[in-house]
Amino acid sequence: MAIVYKKNSAVFSEVAGVEEAEALLEWLTKHPKGKLNLAACTHLHPANLQVLMAAERSAYVPPGDPALAAWLGSALKAKE
Amino acid sequence: MNPLLEQFLSESRESLQGISEKLMQLENDPDSTQLMTELFRYVHTLKGNSGLFDFPELTRVLHAGEDLMDSVRDGRVAFSLQLTDALLDAMDYVGMLCDEIEKNDRYAANHVNDSLRLADTLRQMIGVPEASEAAAELPASPSPQGTESRAELLLLANLPEEIRLAAYQEAVSGGALHLLVYAPVEECFFQGDDPFHQARHTPGLLWGGITARKPWPKLAELDAYSCVLDFQVLSNAPIEEIREYYRYVAEQLKVIPLAAADLMAPGESTASAGRSAPPPPATAGTLSPEAGAAASTIIAVQREILSLPDQVTWIAGRIQGVAASLRGCLLAAGSDAALPSLRQASQSAVGRLSSAPLLAWLQEFTGTDRTDPTDPTDRTDETAVTVVTARGAAACCEPAEPGAPQPAFQVVSAAPQGPAPEGEVKFGRRAEDAFNGAKSLKVDQEKIDRLMNLIGEMVVAKNALPYLAGRAENVFGVPELSREIKAQYAVINRIAEEMQDSIMQVRMMPVSFVFQRFPRLVRDTSNKLAKKVNLVLEGEETEADKNIIESLGDPLVHIVRNSLDHGIESPEVRTAAGKPAVGTLTIRASQESDRVVIEIRDDGKGIDPAVIKRKAYEKGLINEDRLERISDQEAVNLVFTAGFSTAEAISDLSGRGVGMDVVRTAIEKVNGTVHLESEKGKGTLIRISLPLSMAITNVMIVESNGQIFGVPMDAVVETVRVPRAQIKTIKKSMATVLRGRIVPLKSLNSLLGSGAAQKANDEDELAVLVVNAGGVPLGILVDEFHETVEIILKPMTGVLSGLAAYSGSALLGDGSVLMVLNVKEVV
Repeated sequence: MAIVYKKNSAVFSEVAGVEEAEALLEWLTKHPKGKLNLAACTHLHPANLQVLMAAERSAYVPPGDPALAAWLGSALKAKE
Repeated sequence: MNPLLEQFLSESRESLQGISEKLMQLENDPDSTQLMTELFRYVHTLKGNSGLFDFPELTRVLHAGEDLMDSVRDGRVAFSLQLTDALLDAMDYVGMLCDEIEKNDRYAANHVNDSLRLADTLRQMIGVPEASEAAAELPASPSPQGTESRAELLLLANLPEEIRLAAYQEAVSGGALHLLVYAPVEECFFQGDDPFHQARHTPGLLWGGITARKPWPKLAELDAYSCVLDFQVLSNAPIEEIREYYRYVAEQLKVIPLAAADLMAPGESTASAGRSAPPPPATAGTLSPEAGAAASTIIAVQREILSLPDQVTWIAGRIQGVAASLRGCLLAAGSDAALPSLRQASQSAVGRLSSAPLLAWLQEFTGTDRTDPTDPTDRTDETAVTVVTARGAAACCEPAEPGAPQPAFQVVSAAPQGPAPEGEVKFGRRAEDAFNGAKSLKVDQEKIDRLMNLIGEMVVAKNALPYLAGRAENVFGVPELSREIKAQYAVINRIAEEMQDSIMQVRMMPVSFVFQRFPRLVRDTSNKLAKKVNLVLEGEETEADKNIIESLGDPLVHIVRNSLDHGIESPEVRTAAGKPAVGTLTIRASQESDRVVIEIRDDGKGIDPAVIKRKAYEKGLINEDRLERISDQEAVNLVFTAGFSTAEAISDLSGRGVGMDVVRTAIEKVNGTVHLESEKGKGTLIRISLPLSMAITNVMIVESNGQIFGVPMDAVVETVRVPRAQIKTIKKSMATVLRGRIVPLKSLNSLLGSGAAQKANDEDELAVLVVNAGGVPLGILVDEFHETVEIILKPMTGVLSGLAAYSGSALLGDGSVLMVLNVKEVV
């Protein structure tokens, strides 16, 4: 699993594949205050991305990968 | 090459042929629903098959063609000449790609632009409803010029300052920058795509952004697997590289070339707008691909900009910026009509350094003429919705989703239940397509040839049995055994003949195989020459051996082109000469005993023998002597001589003086003859006569100087015995009178270079084999005649192939080799 769900946070690691989106969506629905940690994430499938965008969580730990961080910056900031 | 691809190529060719045939027929009968349905089926199957392979360009063009056919079939678009032309063009392109694939297993990457252009042309033909659909899905319609898409430049407002500066500097120093707007189709996740990954790895990536197409629904209602993201990428890679990278999704990509000013101006104008007016929702609105909302927001923003005080130094630039934005909106909304007035207003505004004229124009445009700016945008919104629903419904009807190339359908394992039935239904339909019987087999020609050779050997081996019977009777003295062998021989003979006959049938092809290309050829050529020609094809079902049919192709093309170019006159000339304006070109095939006869007849201006004679003389093809004696009929046949051309100027169609010579050579190669009859002012008839099959040759065996030779029966006119007394010698050459006609005689021995005298029979009569040598009878003196046999002629190979006197050799039943003379070369 590329996304590990802890008590109040979802921790992403490496590549979050398309099959994760369903569970992520479910988790975000259940945890409106849930935190996101993308520090170890290198890539995530756009299905996950649009779930994150729709969830409008502006607070998250940015990915260590600067390129991905820049992309996510444009996507997640735009919805603030 | 894998067998699947091979099969695809061979089927594609059939389909392409079928498509162009049906198009031609439709031109004559545009209302036929049946033809249209068949045509659609062809295009549809071809497109479906192409999706199995990695040929996005191919699929794209076919898909566009299919959409067009679909709207024609539904009566939304009328069938027209331009439509036929566009479809034929597209099919030619597909054919070209197929050729390339066949040669190299793949085609060069530089076909992307052609395919986009063709697909675009086809889609444009679909007309209004599709156009607005394309506008709703802006990025789905790639615009090579990209000029009308200035609105997209507002996206650049999102650019971080330092990247913008770096990009600006690069643009100023002459680097090519492109803004890519990549809008993946909603169902792309199910096709195994990862558009984010695709966008992240764009060549020359400088900056990338992601935006949502529409406002987010409540989290609980979100469908995570329906892609609603748009990707924007700023890239400094060459356009070719970008196109190549995105070639699978080229319809979903919009490339906007950027100039240095683009990187400057939008930032400036939005900034100034942002300063004085409440932060415009423009950015968020524009970022959505729904042009409707975007356009109204842009217009609102422009109005705000124009309402700003004029007393600034950069007023001229501001006005120009506003005008450019408005122009972009108009173009995107399709209200081209308003463009001139906009240009006028902006010019006067710049001239007076005041926003007033432009503002007035905008007021007038949005106020009184309310329908224009809002209506089209509203409509696009609606269409967008219908498109979406249509997509949902696509499962149960024909696939109508625009722009989506249909690659092999992949259902991701974890896919939710929603779109799954779509896949199932499609698979079901695909299976139905394949279910039209497998009555015919596709067999490699080599296998047939091998079978043919084996049967040939069988025939030869069978012929050994009568010799064996003879030996049983004469040498071993067992007549009973001889009789039994003969009886057995009769059975084997019957079976062998039937086998031979049926393998011949396998190789037989109808002449329609070569005829089918003529409707297109005649149509294109006559259009080019501005002539009107009615092509009549007759006897297309006449069959002949595959080799013969194939060898017929090129000569016929030459002849038909000649007839169109030189034969049939322009409509004016025809009317003046009292002929119907539309010329008639008839190609008729028929069978005459064991030969196929093809006649090409036109009712054009015919050939003037006097002109031919003069030209032939001028070119030194005939001497003065011949010029005097030559008959008109012989004269017109001079056009088959090498180096002959009557055309005053060389056109790209004919006139190089090789055409008819090539025709004759090609036809003679397969033992055919060609003959021309022409009447000045009335037309020309070219008659080609070909053997049904070249496999089995009938030869007559003659004996001379103790050796046997074969002479093809085609060449033999008659065999006679002439008393030595009746042979006269005129100037060292012999001749005799046969039924009142002088026939020159030649001895076979001397022709072949052995000095022996020909033997006469007991009554001192010489055996004369009268042959047809280039139209004139000629007697060949031989020692003895033997029977005629059917042989399989093998051409001479190796060093022997240089011996022109023999056309080949064959094996006889007793195992001896028979040399077959090439009569034309020997005499």
